[in-house]
Amino acid sequence: MNNNLFMKILILSIALLLFGSTISAQSIGLEPGNKSPEIKLPTIKGDTVALSSLKGKLVLIDFWGTWCSPCVAEQAELAKLYNKYKQSTFTNGKGFEIYGVSLDAKKSNWENFITMNKINWIQVSDLKFWRSPVAKTYNIQALPFNILMDGNGIIVAKNLHGMDLEKSIAKFLRK
Amino acid sequence: MKRKILIFLFFTIATSLFASNQLSAQGQAEPWTPQQLLAPADLAKVLNDPKAPQPLVFSIGMQAIIKGSIDIGPVMMSENLNSLKQKLGKLPKNAQIVVYCGCCPFSRCPNVRPAMKLLKEMQFTNFKLLNLPDNVKVDWIDKGYPMNE
Repeated sequence: MNNNLFMKILILSIALLLFGSTISAQSIGLEPGNKSPEIKLPTIKGDTVALSSLKGKLVLIDFWGTWCSPCVAEQAELAKLYNKYKQSTFTNGKGFEIYGVSLDAKKSNWENFITMNKINWIQVSDLKFWRSPVAKTYNIQALPFNILMDGNGIIVAKNLHGMDLEKSIAKFLRK
Repeated sequence: MKRKILIFLFFTIATSLFASNQLSAQGQAEPWTPQQLLAPADLAKVLNDPKAPQPLVFSIGMQAIIKGSIDIGPVMMSENLNSLKQKLGKLPKNAQIVVYCGCCPFSRCPNVRPAMKLLKEMQFTNFKLLNLPDNVKVDWIDKGYPMNE
């Protein structure tokens, strides 16, 4: 094989590799680097909010339920993070939003909890408990579970809680 | 010296094994025996066999997901526990009964203990707790076992 042909094949291979990795980074999946699957679910009032409508913001998808005690305990921490970062500018998004997906089964439980705890970020649910199709789409094995995604809907972190979650959000702050 | 270390090790391991089998995360004895835990595969097999004698399956948690199960609601709430009590009161003491919640692991579930305590107090003789170690999704739905429509 002459050198010229060898160089051509080498360059072509590198180009294919780079192109291929770009495609896989944008493919829909559940790992960091993947585009997070779409969710379109109703709020308490009944209007549908699509996850994709939050494009441009750093978004935490919080899967929870009022019947899940660690999830309930975490809501107060999420409130602190929300108030602290909702107006912030990030390297990968402007503003911070939480998209709470409840796996509750009864609307009254879900609604009462949100009202009593004055939760002021987006809350959606199909009220199908563990039968919710999002539990399958996101391969949720246990609650609480969350995903942090950037302004392009790309997953940047998965299932972080407490200090680890805040550190991950703060890491993207534009200085 | 070696013998003493071996004896110490034996007792440490034996004690911790005993404790993990007998005690819940809260440090109390569980109101069920290992023999009262029913494997999901075994219940699924019975539910899928129309000729097999069918147990009465009560959902004592958020939703009656399992095929044929009766929705009581979370028995951590007294009105639901009372409703279970009323339904059980109409049954013979040797009725074949299965209860399940499936929200989360037993260590965190607020419903399985009140239900099993009630069954014991009411002196039923043939009742089981469906062993869903993670939750009803992982241990039932994802396995393709039969569900209510």
